Amino acid sequence: MHISEGVLSAPVLVTGAVLAAAGVSVGLRKMDYEKIPQVAVLSSAFFVASFIHVPIGPANAHLILNGISGILLGWLCFPSILVALALQAILFQFGGITVLGINTVNMALPGVTCYYLFSRLVKRERGLLSPAAAFACGFLAVFLSGILVALCLLFTEESFMSVARLILLAHLPVMIIEGIITLFCVAFLARVKPELLGGIYGKGS
Amino acid sequence: MEKGHSIQISLVILLLASILVISSNLPALAHKVIIFAWVEGDTVFTESKFAGGKRAVGAQVQVFDKEGKQLLEGKTDNRGKFSFKIPKLTDLRIVLTAGMGHKGEWAIPESEILEARGVSEEKRSGEHSQPTAAGLSKEEIKDLIEDSLDRKLRPIVRMLTESQSKGPSVNEIVGGIGYIFGLMGVALYFKNRGKRRHRDNYND
Repeated sequence: MHISEGVLSAPVLVTGAVLAAAGVSVGLRKMDYEKIPQVAVLSSAFFVASFIHVPIGPANAHLILNGISGILLGWLCFPSILVALALQAILFQFGGITVLGINTVNMALPGVTCYYLFSRLVKRERGLLSPAAAFACGFLAVFLSGILVALCLLFTEESFMSVARLILLAHLPVMIIEGIITLFCVAFLARVKPELLGGIYGKGS
Repeated sequence: MEKGHSIQISLVILLLASILVISSNLPALAHKVIIFAWVEGDTVFTESKFAGGKRAVGAQVQVFDKEGKQLLEGKTDNRGKFSFKIPKLTDLRIVLTAGMGHKGEWAIPESEILEARGVSEEKRSGEHSQPTAAGLSKEEIKDLIEDSLDRKLRPIVRMLTESQSKGPSVNEIVGGIGYIFGLMGVALYFKNRGKRRHRDNYND
């Protein structure tokens, strides 16, 4: 889902950069001492996830892990994903420097959305609600990223529907796998470290 | 320690992910497309691939001249290849659009086209030149050398394409993770310094 350099028009790039800067500044403001290692670890996880590709379906899609980043980090997933994307752009020319902003927004904004949608639900101790919410979180984050990428490409490629259908179809296996990964991560964390779930900020430190 | 615990857990997750990556032998990834083009005679051959080696099938190829005017366009075949006759003597810019925001570029300078064309023209004129009784004419020798060089160099050209389209190595990935933790160290350092200064002021 990394958009390459030179595909998007200047207004889209500028909008992306501005939104990313806003998101990152919100994230940095909320980042305190204890959160830094957590942000770094999830940044590394995101960095590595792009190398795990899912060999099912029509296209070579890779894991994104923005759902799990979002639910564990909230707004902090903006700086986390920005760092990982910047390194991917510099080291491997995935994406690029000019598209860094828009790529960050495409990945991090769904993460933040999922944080607000699911962080309360994921905390539930009993019943099927927590696993279901975790799965939905992983699934929806990738889905929303696909929609955002399609929206960005709307201005360069002809029809939104065909691009969106292509991207979402290609990423359907990824969505399901990410849902499962998020489900297991949440279940694991709920057992060993429940404080990590639901509300990275606001619990005081 | 509570905090130490959470970091440990995350590290374990990260480690598992890295093992997964390394054991999966870094397969083809759809992050980046590469188009590679070379000139033979009056034809330009191109090959398009995703980083990691998967061929870009049915992707759009556009050819632009020096001024940015589009000369022609076409689609890659099921082996990621596309070739065209050079429409005009100019610097060519070949742009590949593989959909979903993937784009690659390759430039062919005018000099390269001239060189390749020169060779083929000499070849043509060489056909008319009469061989001397003593054996091969100068042109024929030149032709033979050009031909065999073309043949010999083709695998090397191919190798260059392949090495260009190879995905990142494990070293680079581990290096990237190292960068992230280095940045974490820097962030912690600055946060900690601010904290200590604050505390010192408070104690004064």
